[in-house]
Amino acid sequence: MPLELHDDTATLVGVVTVDEVEQLVGWLRAARKPKVSLRRCNHLHTGALQALLLFKPKISAAPNNAFLAAQVLPLLDSSQRNRR
Amino acid sequence: MNPLLAQFLAEANDLLASVDAGLLQLERDPGDPELVNQVFRAAHTFKGSSGLFDFPELTRLTHAAEDLLEAVRGGRLPLDSAMADDLLATFDLIRGWLAHVTTHERLPSGAGTDAAGLITRLRAPLGGEPRAAVQASSTGGITTIGGAPDWLAWFDAEWLTATASWLDITSSTMRFVRYVPEADCFFRAEDPIHLVRQVPALDRLGIVQPATWPEPGEYDEYVCLLSFVIATRAAIGELEHLFRYVPEQVQIVELDAGAITRHVSGEPPLKAEERVTVVVAEVRDSEQAADARAVLHAARRTFELHPVEGAHLRSVARAVSAAARALGVPKDLTDADQPRVREAVDFLLAEATPAPLGAAPAATAVPITPAEPAEPAEPAEPAEAAEAEPSGRADEHGGQVGTRVLKVDQEKVDRLMELVGELNVAKNGLTFLADAAEEEFGSRVLSRRIKDQYAGLHRIAEELQSGVMDIRMLPISVAFGRFPRLVRDLSRRLGKTVELHTEGDDTMADKDVIEALVDPLVHLVRNSLDHGIETAEQRQAAGKNPAARLTLAAVADGDAVLVEVSDDGRGVDPERVRRTAYEKGLISEDQRESLSDSEAIDLVFRPGFSTAEEISDLSGRGVGMDAVRASVEKLGGTVTMRSKLGQGASTRLRLPLSMAVTQVMVVSVAGQRFGIPVDLVVETVRVPAAEMGRVLHQDVVVLRGDVVPVLDLARLLEMPSRDEGADRAILVVTVNGQRAGLIVEQFHREVDVILKPMEGLLAYADEFSGTALLGDGLVLLVLNMKEVLGLAARTA
Repeated sequence: MPLELHDDTATLVGVVTVDEVEQLVGWLRAARKPKVSLRRCNHLHTGALQALLLFKPKISAAPNNAFLAAQVLPLLDSSQRNRR
Repeated sequence: MNPLLAQFLAEANDLLASVDAGLLQLERDPGDPELVNQVFRAAHTFKGSSGLFDFPELTRLTHAAEDLLEAVRGGRLPLDSAMADDLLATFDLIRGWLAHVTTHERLPSGAGTDAAGLITRLRAPLGGEPRAAVQASSTGGITTIGGAPDWLAWFDAEWLTATASWLDITSSTMRFVRYVPEADCFFRAEDPIHLVRQVPALDRLGIVQPATWPEPGEYDEYVCLLSFVIATRAAIGELEHLFRYVPEQVQIVELDAGAITRHVSGEPPLKAEERVTVVVAEVRDSEQAADARAVLHAARRTFELHPVEGAHLRSVARAVSAAARALGVPKDLTDADQPRVREAVDFLLAEATPAPLGAAPAATAVPITPAEPAEPAEPAEPAEAAEAEPSGRADEHGGQVGTRVLKVDQEKVDRLMELVGELNVAKNGLTFLADAAEEEFGSRVLSRRIKDQYAGLHRIAEELQSGVMDIRMLPISVAFGRFPRLVRDLSRRLGKTVELHTEGDDTMADKDVIEALVDPLVHLVRNSLDHGIETAEQRQAAGKNPAARLTLAAVADGDAVLVEVSDDGRGVDPERVRRTAYEKGLISEDQRESLSDSEAIDLVFRPGFSTAEEISDLSGRGVGMDAVRASVEKLGGTVTMRSKLGQGASTRLRLPLSMAVTQVMVVSVAGQRFGIPVDLVVETVRVPAAEMGRVLHQDVVVLRGDVVPVLDLARLLEMPSRDEGADRAILVVTVNGQRAGLIVEQFHREVDVILKPMEGLLAYADEFSGTALLGDGLVLLVLNMKEVLGLAARTA
């Protein structure tokens, strides 16, 4: 399962496909202080990335995947900074 | 080749032919709605099937043709001859492509450009495409423009300046892509980021977020709001390939240092229209331009070598105009004389050679580098280039589309089969002639020679027969093909999880057998799903994998094919079957006690038997299994069922490979000959009369320790029986798993016959399955052993 969801923390694992987007958004809506670990995530579907950009959860662990770390993480982190 | 593709190509040939015929007729009679429909349907089918393969150009082109035809069909547009020309040209182009696909399994390299022009023409009567102007200057629908676009501003100026100076030093260019996915792209299983990740040599990626995000409460997670800007060193061709399925959502520009600097310093980018036509062509597709130049060079050399006239001149002129079109400088050279064509060639070469362009951009300040330096794509020897990929030019029509497949009316094959049968009969006549030559005319030599002739004829007839049978053979996968869908739908409705497995899909059998097999198989599969397989919960409770396994297997077995439907469901409960059969009055109290488990299971094939407690709409109205047995036996096959309670059941159908020719054993009873299907014959024995025994009222014979009941065939058929003689000729047959001996007068040969069913006045005679003509002109009655033994049981 690519999503491991808990009350306020979530871990994204492997390839997050479009099928997981709805669940992820539901969790982001419900969680009060969402924290997301991307460490073991290899790919985010565009819909999932879009949701992370909108809801701006705290990224608790940077992805190991090179593409995500280089191209996607800065967006998520900068949105974090803007918020603070 | 992929079998799907092979089939597509074979069908495409027919479709193309029908489109051509339809279009031509339509031109003569433009008002005929049926004709428009016919052409439209063909184009539609074409588009649909082409989508299965990786031929985006083909799909786009047929799509355009379909749209035009749709408008014509809807009466929104009258079909004029220009449109008909465009449509014909479209399908000619497709024919050329498919010939190329047949040999190379891919579209010719210039397909995108060839299609783009036609698509624009096809769309023109419909008011053109919104982006028609841009499309015209693009390859395969992907926009490639030369000036720096506004969205370049997304990249930070610092990076752009650094990049520009690097590009300046190295006099190279970079490609920039703007990719705006459609809002509903997630529903088409597109993942824009995934596509972007595949961009080779990605330098910079910008994920552009919407200016204002919707409120979280109103956010629709399935609407794509993001878009992308990409800077890459990948070639335009690579990018076009990558984005070939979303060409309308992508803009690709190739920029050099000048263009970027201009952008950074805030100067307005040059408009696309201001650029020199030839330069556009270069950027668009340098490979295409190189091909065109090769053609031009070849043409010039032709002129230098010797004078060109007549048909040769016309063909050169055509090639030159095609090259001119490819270079974006259309020239009409129809009916041009040699000096004019030559002039055009020189002009085009001067225009198209990249070298002079070095000056041109300076003069007009075109913001792109002058294409590839020194024609890298141009081959050293143009003539060779033309030969390297003979069908590369898409408008060639010489190739063959699809493999050579003859579509033959089934009746013709049937007629052929009948003639083979007649030949067999005529051939069998020779053996009688040989006997007559020896017995009546006393010539043993003649008899031997006739027999030799017979042997040769026999071999040829057999080969002919197997050849004709081969034509009618189909793989069993044709019958299995419909089950994945059936099983999926039914298991959904029943709320069961079922995995369907098929084995031996390529087992061959006669077309008639395959067709006749479908109905019994549907019955069996439905039965299995409905009664045999439990729900996932029941399965889990029984400690089984919640997903049930249903297997369809076929295997060839000599002259027969075995088809087995098996499941790992609950199996058949013999006790319940006994009880139900008894309650329904199908068996007596004694039988209920004495029937073995396997005999009990066989009861499910009895008419009027159904064990399902509630009748569902899927199967089980007490007609299922006996209908299966009846239809399989009609084909000359048998059905048996095995089951292990709690572990599953399997039903095995045994069918003859072919129904056309039946092998029968000829026996005579009271002086008359009868045929018995060889399939049923176990052995023939001669038993001394003294060894015949009698158990109760039944004659029996003991064969290798087994007691076999013996019936007098003559008495069964109400013919005079003769008991004299010391030995009894007994033919042992097995019917429905039971052995029986038949006393006959004499055994004869086995013969291949074509069985004709009993018709007319004899149709009531169930004890015969048909008649066949023998070589000596006698009509042979072939016995239906099941009925004959049933008769014996009734009279006993």
